[in-house]
Amino acid sequence: MSLNGTAQRDFERALGAANVISDPPRLRSYECDGLTGYRVVPALVLLPRTAEQVAAAVRVCATHGIPFVARGAGTGLSGGALPVADGVVISLQRLRRVLEVDPVDRRAVLEPGVTNLDITRAAAPYGLYYAPDPSSQQVCTIGGNVAENSGGAHCLKYGFTTNHVLALEVVLADGSVVTLGGDSGEQLGPDLRGVFLGSEGTVGIATKITVRLLRAPETVRTLLADFPSIEAAGEVVSDIVAAGIVPAAVEMMDTLAIEAAEEAVHAGYTRGVPAALVVELDGPVEECAEGFDKVKAICEKHGCTRLHVAGDAEERAAIWRGRKSAFAAVGRISPDYFVQDGVVPRTRLAEVLGRIAEMGEQAGLRVANVFHAGDGNLHPLVLYDAAAGETERGEELSGKIAELCVELGGSLSGEHGIGTDKACSMPKMYSGTDLAVMARVRSAFDPAGLCNPGKLLPTPRLCGEVPGKFTPHPLEEAGVIERL
Amino acid sequence: MSSLQDSSTRTVRPADLAEAAAALADTAGRVLVSGAGTAADWAGRPDAPELVLDTTALTGVRAHNPGDMTVEVRAGTPLRELNGVLAEHGQRVALDPARVALGATAGGLIATADAGPLALIYGSMRDLVIGMTVVLADGTVARSGGHVIKNVAGYDLAKLAHGCHGTLGLIAEVVLRLHPLPAATLTVRLPCSLAEAAEAAAEILGGPLEPAALEWCGDALLVRLEGGAAAVDARADRLITLLGLGAVRLTAAEEAAAWDEHAVLVAGAEGRPPEGTAVLRVGARPSRLAGLLGELGTELGASRVTAGLATGIGTVTLPADPETVSLAHERVHRAGGTSTLRARPVDAALPGWGPAPAAVGLLRAVRNELDPGGRLGAGRFAPWM
Repeated sequence: MSLNGTAQRDFERALGAANVISDPPRLRSYECDGLTGYRVVPALVLLPRTAEQVAAAVRVCATHGIPFVARGAGTGLSGGALPVADGVVISLQRLRRVLEVDPVDRRAVLEPGVTNLDITRAAAPYGLYYAPDPSSQQVCTIGGNVAENSGGAHCLKYGFTTNHVLALEVVLADGSVVTLGGDSGEQLGPDLRGVFLGSEGTVGIATKITVRLLRAPETVRTLLADFPSIEAAGEVVSDIVAAGIVPAAVEMMDTLAIEAAEEAVHAGYTRGVPAALVVELDGPVEECAEGFDKVKAICEKHGCTRLHVAGDAEERAAIWRGRKSAFAAVGRISPDYFVQDGVVPRTRLAEVLGRIAEMGEQAGLRVANVFHAGDGNLHPLVLYDAAAGETERGEELSGKIAELCVELGGSLSGEHGIGTDKACSMPKMYSGTDLAVMARVRSAFDPAGLCNPGKLLPTPRLCGEVPGKFTPHPLEEAGVIERL
Repeated sequence: MSSLQDSSTRTVRPADLAEAAAALADTAGRVLVSGAGTAADWAGRPDAPELVLDTTALTGVRAHNPGDMTVEVRAGTPLRELNGVLAEHGQRVALDPARVALGATAGGLIATADAGPLALIYGSMRDLVIGMTVVLADGTVARSGGHVIKNVAGYDLAKLAHGCHGTLGLIAEVVLRLHPLPAATLTVRLPCSLAEAAEAAAEILGGPLEPAALEWCGDALLVRLEGGAAAVDARADRLITLLGLGAVRLTAAEEAAAWDEHAVLVAGAEGRPPEGTAVLRVGARPSRLAGLLGELGTELGASRVTAGLATGIGTVTLPADPETVSLAHERVHRAGGTSTLRARPVDAALPGWGPAPAAVGLLRAVRNELDPGGRLGAGRFAPWM
């Protein structure tokens, strides 16, 4: 699909012709993000080099009524950066300068295309780091992290992107530029910065991001423990929390996930055990030592069959390599797989895993489970074989798992976002009124509806005229809560 | 408050969400949301309302599952009471603004974006609220977020309530993230000037001791450590060695008294500042805070200073004079900071805010979408909107 010639000339005038991509083979490399099942070729791709050029490009969009989709590294897993056919993609990949690292006030000012890991690299000489650490941190960008409110393995203790962003310079849908938040993280009036964070690119484009940096902890202690059942591992997590310990990370893997990870990276996990836990504590030496002894005792109390404490940084890295490779490693034990992302209240982990196993059995498909056990964020991996015609069954099972999380009082997404993938499931989690109010807020930012349209909220075009039936929250059905 | 209300003002005191929604749906005029009244005179002075929506009966825990470390409460619940209940389970809402002791409600603390010394580690309510049910001016009930701490489904509308000062909508119910009560806390006190405190703070923060709170108040730096019993003690030893001569470990009784004193500087005794004065909350880049507060002292007669040298948040007490307060707002604004007027003499016409932020157009647009008539909390953001 193409835009009218005037619009294209306006973009070329604003950015320089070399920074406006219109030839189909190059456009195709932007047709999807990390959710490769959805593909749309955009009319143009724009490659601004400065914040001013981003604003200029958005002004051209506003003038001509052209929808635009911001894109960082394209690692998103929910189709949040899926192009619009008659719209443009604004790539932020060329805005990748670290503008400032301030070791005294422990903050960094970044352009949106800076990768997550490069923030920590820039901070490291001062003994500082940037806390949120999504698995894709080597490539994903801070602009994308802001859009998705990204988490990571350590967000149980340290929080999400929203807890680490002090200020945002933002280009709104009309091309105007505003700053949200401020020097101390205090914002006068309602917290618009907080609304922007996690808005999946639907209310503007962040062009300058001020983040907090943390001092690297004095000590890090990590252990890997095997358990005879998922339930036993789950009880360990509960007991750790009940003991008043806030671990930096608690990760759980099941048999299938362990098998896949071992197949790929030989990280020293025990094949065949029903569940493995990775527990990491960090902080001042004394606190870490006191907490770590308690954690070890809790593991033993629940019948831990093997307890491996990382003796040095290398052994710790090996444990994490196993955990972080689990997604991709599943490719070794299955030709194809869907990655799901849902959240349940932590105390319902064992229950949800039991239900997932039953659902997998009914569908005749295997499901590997890797998850952030501390905060109830599941990443079930639905294994299937496209060549054997299992795609549709796999997709259906994966979708049902996310909706099961909502049924159990949780959320459709803990960190991958709603995007294109789950927009039509939103009515399972929110009432029509809830969604209508969200739409009103979106409209306050973008009255013309040009900013990443079709994402996050269900639309008739995407989901059909009648969205999925709204199901009351279980607490609501039990009469514990009501919403009118 | 009473001076704002004449005989035509009605008051409703809903006990649940349904009653609150009905009260708003039934009203066409201006509505003033009032809670415990501990921040009734903060920010801009509200225009005379037709309806006062009193949230003091909108109370109670709706769901608390200790294992999930979340709690759902009606927004009129005083935080002090809530934390009393949670303490039985070894848990807390990790938020300690001065006026909690005066009965401030969960909803009021969100609406005023208040926070105390613990914000250094735990942030403010914006970081602790994980779900919210609001009632808009037309009676529409809307929910966002949920019962899990990790959740990116949909817009985080609770953020709009943070700092809304009774505009946009009524905060009816909230779900809060909880933290464990620490096994031990210990405070080290270093008598020093504000400038010396800033230097000491930089040293502490450059090291590994991870204080839970770090505040200068009046004549000393207070550093609170939280954690395991033995560990906190060992960390205090290291802290005292670092700070050198003069730093002392407070006994439990001294610790409580020191932080009470801090709260009185922030909120005034019984929630009232000394006669003829007003309190300004100031936010700035942390390394600039001490200098800025010092200037407010020498140039504008600011006193009773507290300074969160790690968070960049401080409070000062100013003469309750419109020109002085206005100059203070401007001074902070020029330094790139933020300022909000807090407690003041009831009838004093003082500017609640300084120069409008760049995003004021966006604020107006959000207000126009959610409360097109501007009925809720009219006047709170005067003269911005």
